[in-house]
Amino acid sequence: MRKLFSILSLVILASMVLAACGGAKAPTSVHGTLRVNVGAFPDIIDPQKSSFVGEIGHLNKMYEGLTKFNAKLETVPGAAESWTYSPDGTELTFTLRKNLKYSDGSLLNAERFRYSLLRNVNPATAGEYAAITDEILGAPEWRGCGEDVAACDAAKAVVETSLVASHANGDACTGYDDKSCNTFTVKLSKPAPYFHTVLALWVGYPAKQENIEAGGETWWLDPQYHTGNGPWMLSEMEQAVTTKFVSNPEYWGGEPYYDIEYSYITDSAVSFEAYKNDEFDVIASAGEDFGAIESDPDLKAQHVVYAGSCTIAIMFHQLKEPFTDQKVREAFAYALDRDAWVADVDSNLSLPTLTWIPPGYPGYKEGETRWGYDPEKALQAIAESSYGSVANLPEINVTFSDTARNRVRHEWIVAKWKDVFGPDLKIALNAVESTTYTALTKDIETAPSVFRLGWCADYPDPQNWLSVYWKTGGFGERIGYSNPEFDALVNAADVELDPAKRAELYQQAQDLFMDDAAVAMMYNTKNHYLVKPWVKGWSASPQDGLFPGDMDPTAMYIDETLLPAQ
Amino acid sequence: MTVTNQPIGTLKDSLLPNRRTSHSLGYDAWQRLIRNKAAVAGMFIIAFFVIVALFAPALSPYSPIEIHSGVKYLPPMWVKDFNGQSGQAEYILGTDTLGRDILSRVVYGARVSMIVGLVPTIIIVIIGTIIGMLAGYSGGKVDNLLMRLTDIVYAFPDLLFFIIVMVSLRDTFIGQMLNGLLLLFAALAIVNWVGVARLIRGQVLSLKEKEFVEAARCIGAKDLHIMFRHILPNSLSPLIVSIAFSIPGAIITEAILGYLGLGLRPSSDPKDIFITSWGSLLLDGQSAINAQPYLLLVPAVCVALVVLAFTFLGDGLRDALDPRMRGTQ
Amino acid sequence: MATYIIRRLLWLIPVLLVVSVITFILMKNTPGGPWDRDLEARQVDKRTQEILSEYYGLNKPLWRQYVAYVVGDFNKEGEFVWGLVAGNMGPSYRQRGRTVQDILFKAPVGKSFWFSRAGYSARLGLFALAIAIFVGIPIGIFAALGQNTWRDYLGLFIATAGISVPNFVMGIFLIIVFGSWLGLIRIVVKEWNSISVWIVPALVLGFNTTAYTARLTRSSMLEVLRQDYVRTARAKGLAERVVIFIHMLKNAMIPVVTILGPALAGLVTGSFIIETMFGFPGLGRAYVTAISQRDYSMILGTTIFYAILVALANLSVDLVYAFIDPRIKLHD
Repeated sequence: MRKLFSILSLVILASMVLAACGGAKAPTSVHGTLRVNVGAFPDIIDPQKSSFVGEIGHLNKMYEGLTKFNAKLETVPGAAESWTYSPDGTELTFTLRKNLKYSDGSLLNAERFRYSLLRNVNPATAGEYAAITDEILGAPEWRGCGEDVAACDAAKAVVETSLVASHANGDACTGYDDKSCNTFTVKLSKPAPYFHTVLALWVGYPAKQENIEAGGETWWLDPQYHTGNGPWMLSEMEQAVTTKFVSNPEYWGGEPYYDIEYSYITDSAVSFEAYKNDEFDVIASAGEDFGAIESDPDLKAQHVVYAGSCTIAIMFHQLKEPFTDQKVREAFAYALDRDAWVADVDSNLSLPTLTWIPPGYPGYKEGETRWGYDPEKALQAIAESSYGSVANLPEINVTFSDTARNRVRHEWIVAKWKDVFGPDLKIALNAVESTTYTALTKDIETAPSVFRLGWCADYPDPQNWLSVYWKTGGFGERIGYSNPEFDALVNAADVELDPAKRAELYQQAQDLFMDDAAVAMMYNTKNHYLVKPWVKGWSASPQDGLFPGDMDPTAMYIDETLLPAQ
Repeated sequence: MTVTNQPIGTLKDSLLPNRRTSHSLGYDAWQRLIRNKAAVAGMFIIAFFVIVALFAPALSPYSPIEIHSGVKYLPPMWVKDFNGQSGQAEYILGTDTLGRDILSRVVYGARVSMIVGLVPTIIIVIIGTIIGMLAGYSGGKVDNLLMRLTDIVYAFPDLLFFIIVMVSLRDTFIGQMLNGLLLLFAALAIVNWVGVARLIRGQVLSLKEKEFVEAARCIGAKDLHIMFRHILPNSLSPLIVSIAFSIPGAIITEAILGYLGLGLRPSSDPKDIFITSWGSLLLDGQSAINAQPYLLLVPAVCVALVVLAFTFLGDGLRDALDPRMRGTQ
Repeated sequence: MATYIIRRLLWLIPVLLVVSVITFILMKNTPGGPWDRDLEARQVDKRTQEILSEYYGLNKPLWRQYVAYVVGDFNKEGEFVWGLVAGNMGPSYRQRGRTVQDILFKAPVGKSFWFSRAGYSARLGLFALAIAIFVGIPIGIFAALGQNTWRDYLGLFIATAGISVPNFVMGIFLIIVFGSWLGLIRIVVKEWNSISVWIVPALVLGFNTTAYTARLTRSSMLEVLRQDYVRTARAKGLAERVVIFIHMLKNAMIPVVTILGPALAGLVTGSFIIETMFGFPGLGRAYVTAISQRDYSMILGTTIFYAILVALANLSVDLVYAFIDPRIKLHD
């Protein structure tokens, strides 16, 4: 079954490559530069240590994993041309493409991928996203071995045997210059039919061991050590000012049609001025500038808005008054007018939602209506609750991370709840500094009774939305959510090898979760960019990090005939 | 035109050679002050804003937190067609990002901003003056210790300090007072007195070696007397300038600290006294400069007017209190 | 004089100790830690947080962490690594792999110190300070000499604009005027190598100080103008007037010098708002970001650097006092 799937994706990839190369206007020799404002300068650009969207937006230009995502969020072959799961789903074997090379022309074989995953799991690396590969047999033990040297050595040995680079016939590889070393096998601690999708992430990017060792701790700052296998090569980096990538002629999929230049302006008003001045080709648009964009026909035509990768919800602490009572949670969910929110607060740069997994992602449930806006039902739910009336509710403190945008957002939420529940509702706003907010909301003890929080997809699989977040002990533990029935469903789904059955189990789990009204779903984010007309060939994907088409940037090009005369 | 040849307060009042009138010194000063047109204008502006602040509920057409759906980012009523929108007579100065009436918000903002501008400034001036005088006048070890203390406070990580104060005191009685403003005053005062202290100390260092201080010492004046009757009045000029600078500084800092959760609590009750401030309107306006530049203009003009008013009044006061200037205006 | 300077420099040690202890206590008591990341990103899971804390020794007792930071500690290989006393400001917890001194003072390969964060900030700050001195003081003199005339009011107008318009407003305004309308400057500076790209950020950074300098100069000048010897001198010949003018200016400079000292320290360590707005790679952004990220060693390192600058600036101010007014005694 798996194999069939991968062959199918190969076909899809092939058709995409054809479309990119065979298109009537697709350039062959044109070579422009895409100038993008990406906001904050990354803290660290190291495949096994990075974790921010902006950081990943740098890494995925220079490196490529065994698999990757296309614009439709399907997992397609990257450096590996195919993969298979063993019948019991606990072994995943990749076959690499032939003649893979780094941008410096050196050989890229399976040993390189083995090294990168070992480095990711190694507690000495202490990568912030290391936990994402915990399905590897022995990985959690090695990461968690602490000061116990014997335990560490034992766990390390297990992981070393769980990751196997070999020849196609199973012979062991001899090192980084072994040309026949094209097979990479990962042994998993349990069936994890989504793991090839996880390996599309940056943590599996094959950073070169020699470079990391030669460059020391700051190797990633120096272009000479960033030798990757991605479509671009780092050519210049001045921190907090600019980063330049040039196309990589050694890339197996063909050299991209353009170079990339990132700038780091974090003030959206300034970035907008620069865009209007033709100093950027792509910027993220800001809600504040929406009026100015809408009233200018040119800008309006350049404004690109499409579904994003996050779901934001109002979280109710299940163990704190008054949200211990499901009826109260229902009431506050009923009282949220998501459509008005999107129009009033978000300038239509978000999408109202009533479900957890966002549209475009596997597992999305269309037509969810539970706990949608209905003021009457809201009042009725309060009447049915153990409190009986709005006046009996204790004072509610809406806590939020204090930024200009958030202040407006929460003033709106509180005002609307007051509209629905009347003046008897005792509700106050509690603004806290942003990192304090993060610290408060991460712990079940300190998490406020009601706050706004969300989740953004790491990889397109329902496991990432349901098991990682809402399973007991997952990220949702902060609001005290724990439902054994839900846990049983997702546990079964996680190891299920039949895709249809697996999807069905996740669907049931999500339904069950929605029944509990643990949170009030609010909206899905949208990606919104201003894109100059000469940027061509991109296809939007919810998970685009820095610009539209970021998931599959090699198909893009700059139509220099449209560039303004200088 | 009579001009005394001595710096202010050099001689005891009773010894003043030319006792022109039987009025008290305060009365004289007041007379000189109200003859100064700029100072009077300043007083009027301040009085105007005080009245606006006191009667905000009566003066504002809407509740400052009332959200009007569908009319966000309206320009002022006299502006036709900006970003495809025209001003409406209902919203004289336009609306903000949630469709709230800007005029009402500016009117309410006067309350917070007038208080925030004045109270911390007064505290800062008092602490700074005392420490500055003490250090400058005593010299030696006292000076050295006090000035090393100012070095420390200068380098103080105030952002961290503010965050801690906010987190630990916010939910206590003190944190709730004046909608969180009291905490803000205290925090601002603790980190900002150093500038005034060093300014005064510099003046004192130079003044205490002057002849008239020598003279006062010779006739047996006490230290405290010399400090407050002779040296302080002659240090007024830089002090007045620094007060005029401290007011807008505090108004703007209030808004920036707002984003650390320190200071004004966001309000959801229109009956609250302190709801919004000019500073936060300025910050909203900066981020929305393309959508609605007027959002920025109105509070900026208000802050500038207050600063001008205090500058005029300060200059007037300084001149009025200076006997040498008697009769010059 | 020399003993005085040496004594003042020795005083730096207790000052820095107090500053570092206060900062250390404050930051360790601030809720959150370096692994509490932005909410749009995925949270770091608990086990990883523990591993990271262990890796950086953040689970040791506080006093040991402080001593380790200031004096030094043994690393995993058992070698002693000197701390702050030897100029090692510790590893950054967020820009992992880099030390604080490396982030602050190290320029990209092949470039001079002036291309490090501190170097950039120093250049911009000195530029802004030059504006404050060479524009602010003349405006103040100009205004004082024409008290209550149009010259005075012009000075007042500029100064009022300089203080009541916050720099985040001034910045975007100048960007729109010079960048978008007039097209004189590029909004996004990719190379900070020509004087023209520095002018606007330096203007915005220095505006407040310029205004303050102008107003202080004006008021002190007026004060001095009222002194009798000046009045007498003004009645005499021109040559005398020039002499007196210089003498007068010197006397009026005490308040100005007082504020310029700390202003220098403030300006050369940068401003978060201006650096954010102009995409300027300076210290201000690094510092504020470090605080919000709880990057402890970055916070301590930058605070101590700033404390040194402030102390040295104030020392220079005191030395300048003695030069301006020889009657002021330096206590030694």
